[in-house]
Amino acid sequence: MRQANKLIAILLAAIMVLALCACGAQTTAATTPAPTASASAVKLAILYEQDDSMKNTYSLLAVNPKAPFKDADGNAVSNVSINTAGAAALINWLLSKEGEDMAASYGKDKYGENLFSLLDGAPVSTAAIPAATDATRNIRMSTTTSVNDSGLLDYLLPKFEQEYGYTVDVYSAGTGKAIANAENGNADLIFVHSKKQEEAFVSDGYSYVLDGFKAERLSYLYNFFVLCGPSDDPAGVKNAASVKDAFKLISDGKYQFVSRGDGSGTHNKEVTLWPEALGITTDAASVANYADWYNYSNAGMGTCLMMANEKGAYILSDKATFLTFVANGGIIDS
Amino acid sequence: MNTALHEAMLMIFSGNRLLGSIIGVTVRMSLASSLTALLLGVPLGVWLGSGRFAARKTLVVLNRTFMGTPPVVCGLLCYLLFSGVGPLRMLKLLYTVRGMVIAQILLITPIVAGMMESCVSSVAPAVRETAGGMGLSGGKTLLLIMNESRYQIISTYLMGLSRALAEVGAVSMVGGAIAYKTNVMTTAIMNYTNMGNFTTSLALGIILFFISLAVNIAVSLLQGRLAI
Amino acid sequence: MRTDAFTKTYDGRRVLSMPEFEFDEKSVYAVIGANGSGKSTLARILSGTIQPDCGKYPASGGLSIGYMPQKSFAFGMTVKKNLLLNGVGAGSGQRADELLRKIQLEELAGKNAHGLSGGETQRMALCRLMMRDYQLLILDEPTASMDVEASLLAEALIREYQNKTGCIVILITHSLPQAARAADNLIFLHAGAPAEWGRLKAMMDAPRSDAFREYLDFCLKR
Repeated sequence: MRQANKLIAILLAAIMVLALCACGAQTTAATTPAPTASASAVKLAILYEQDDSMKNTYSLLAVNPKAPFKDADGNAVSNVSINTAGAAALINWLLSKEGEDMAASYGKDKYGENLFSLLDGAPVSTAAIPAATDATRNIRMSTTTSVNDSGLLDYLLPKFEQEYGYTVDVYSAGTGKAIANAENGNADLIFVHSKKQEEAFVSDGYSYVLDGFKAERLSYLYNFFVLCGPSDDPAGVKNAASVKDAFKLISDGKYQFVSRGDGSGTHNKEVTLWPEALGITTDAASVANYADWYNYSNAGMGTCLMMANEKGAYILSDKATFLTFVANGGIIDS
Repeated sequence: MNTALHEAMLMIFSGNRLLGSIIGVTVRMSLASSLTALLLGVPLGVWLGSGRFAARKTLVVLNRTFMGTPPVVCGLLCYLLFSGVGPLRMLKLLYTVRGMVIAQILLITPIVAGMMESCVSSVAPAVRETAGGMGLSGGKTLLLIMNESRYQIISTYLMGLSRALAEVGAVSMVGGAIAYKTNVMTTAIMNYTNMGNFTTSLALGIILFFISLAVNIAVSLLQGRLAI
Repeated sequence: MRTDAFTKTYDGRRVLSMPEFEFDEKSVYAVIGANGSGKSTLARILSGTIQPDCGKYPASGGLSIGYMPQKSFAFGMTVKKNLLLNGVGAGSGQRADELLRKIQLEELAGKNAHGLSGGETQRMALCRLMMRDYQLLILDEPTASMDVEASLLAEALIREYQNKTGCIVILITHSLPQAARAADNLIFLHAGAPAEWGRLKAMMDAPRSDAFREYLDFCLKR
């Protein structure tokens, strides 16, 4: 009996070693696993898009080293180290012709359409970008899960890192948490898409105007939110005149709807689209009476899409995450 | 389920670089934190278990309380300390592997100490009585006490390693799950699940499970030897 | 060795009360009495394991003491290594072999001590103690788990040890026959105090106290 135990242990150890060795092998495999053809398992479809009120604008903001940082007790803190040179280098590159061209073309290969577009009048930078030094090498970017999940940064950043020798640490969380992270001195720049919260960030003094630019908020990309739902579209939103009409159809018919419920940019946009009479805000209390059809989930975009898929519910999503979700065959058929 | 499992096995044996980085960071962090917790916790536990000073019982109760610290609370504490506005910000430990290791050491050391304490305190009085009867020195008596607990040390270490591998609350707060830097298996499983990317999640889960299984089999084999 | 008078109290109950005593060298003192009469307490106080009420060790003279508690601990190593723990000097290995041979444990010399039976553990513990020359040897029921054959071997070993080292031996036992075989002097404890003491033969032939007489009657079924 003891020998059998020893044999099992050796066998498992061997499998483990094999697995670890296999993972150590450097191949040119893609950084994320190739999508599988289980798209048929996704029952959601894009039902409404390209309405101006569904425009989602992405902005870069550099963190101000002299911002009024406060510690957990609310006391002022000085000597908060911010890598201003690194942040400036990254922002200048993202807003350079090269960076903007790359961003605007992202998604063509994978999904057949670009996921982001350049804003008219977006700032363009021609500044020379210094190479990284030991002191400026590590750049901390705070961004949202939506941006991260779209894969844009995985596409852009390696080019920047290779060319100039920086390393960019991307911290991604819901918009509120991402901004709070920067307010705690843990980021050198933020890349978010929530105008109201960005303006508060600026007016509180946490951002500043970089050399060569005119404003703290550097908005340069946009895409659209899309209203998704079950392909048979019981609420008939496809034929609505505007997105607000579409939302009215959903709320009138009390069709299942999944909300982000996490104070993110998506969530903030979503609550502006409901009929005013319902009084829906980002606060959970405001939707207490609608719990039978309005699902206030407090989760990331991917999780909410899964939930909507399960329930056959309507959901507001950013296009990039939705396309990624579909491509990865989001749901497992059990 | 089947397709995902199949994809997972393919991925494991194809040498995926991202997967390799996640596993590498996990192993580095878990080994560092469990070994350090062992080095700190064993002497602490032996001291608590065999010491004869007035505050002993109080300290044991205190240690038992720390054993039960919710990992996310420890993570929050470390985040507040290491944050850009925190008192220890000059150490630059936030979002680094070293910071995660420190948070885990804070969690695992009390557990190691507690397990050693209970083992030692059960043998220490009898060993003392017999060794004292022979007139052996205090140092030699302590060595004998530790010798009686030596199998416990090994299984305690493996328990600590298990905890380090499976922990997610503290490491996600202190490490921030930054790709290629502080993303470990548990945080990666959470992230990929949230994105809807079940394939990678399952693959990581399977590897984590096998590592845990190997650890636990080793522990039980060792404890089998102990029961002579 | 001369001991001062002392008492020991637990939770308000007086468990032992000893008068001044004089122990002679080269003598074996058997301490007998019913369970709870204070025998083990006496052993633990004289070995220094616990303190009497006055807080001072009752004997002077700085004797080296070897004490075998009622439950001897077998350390997690081979039997021979257990003995060598208490070895001094170059001849330890030989001394250990000899002791194990005399107690008939030599076949188990390489076995892990955790696997020994109760009687084997006690035999090992006795030999382990005898690896060193003490001036005072206190044995608390050293043969309680042994069979008759092993007990006789142990008693012979104790006598031999005493002849070699000239030490005082205090032997706690609940077996009157063993006391009769192995000891020169007898101390009879009754309810925490010595009811009678003296040379063994004299006491057995002519018990003076009622308590001891009753005890003798009970043990020997007279």
